[in-house]
Amino acid sequence: MLILSRKVGETIVIDGHIHVTVMRVDGEVVKLGIAAPMEVPVHRKEVYEEIQRSNQQALTKQNAPLPKMPKLAAAKKTAAVKI
Amino acid sequence: MKCAEMIETEIETDPVVAVDNRQVVRLPMGLLGFEQFKEYVLLSNLDEAPFRWLRVQDNSALAFVVIDPFLVLPDYSPDIPKPDVEFLKLKAPSDAMLLGIVTIHEAGRATMNLKGPVVINRHTLVGRQVIIANANNYSVTHPLPAAESSD
Repeated sequence: MLILSRKVGETIVIDGHIHVTVMRVDGEVVKLGIAAPMEVPVHRKEVYEEIQRSNQQALTKQNAPLPKMPKLAAAKKTAAVKI
Repeated sequence: MKCAEMIETEIETDPVVAVDNRQVVRLPMGLLGFEQFKEYVLLSNLDEAPFRWLRVQDNSALAFVVIDPFLVLPDYSPDIPKPDVEFLKLKAPSDAMLLGIVTIHEAGRATMNLKGPVVINRHTLVGRQVIIANANNYSVTHPLPAAESSD
């Protein structure tokens, strides 16, 4: 693993197009600013791994038996989505 | 040779039957942990509603069970990060179709992932599994309501 020391406001550049800047250091918390092209996904590792595990558990074969569900009220549209 | 025969058999038994609606969906980044699968078919059968299938488009019959998360949790309010909005070219919330990935556990118990919904642009049918900005408020194993003991 490459280990670099950086001060607040300093940046490292990865592959010429991903910039990681130390924004703030507050005790044990380091705030990083990450500028990457939109096709480069950037995630917190814990959440990424949690969702990855969930996907692996969810993978099934088509026509696996579906659970029974009670009748549900019609959904409101996706108005609650914040973009 | 044996291997090839087996694959062929699998393709033949691929159960593509009586589908009421199918849409080809492209997830250019795949799903988290399944980055290699980018082409999917979203299959809806009336008699399987509210569940739908997000099936890998490669004849493997690998699939995910998905559901409209708002059906289960009307108050769900996912906050989609800006890079995802830009990537998906969403102009308005109504452009987005959301799918919660369902995990079926033992004894028919089922949960859905609300931290990482699949968000699809309804117009382009391009999607991405999004880790919502307010993921801390939601679970990857949100329980689905179970049916009353008998129908």
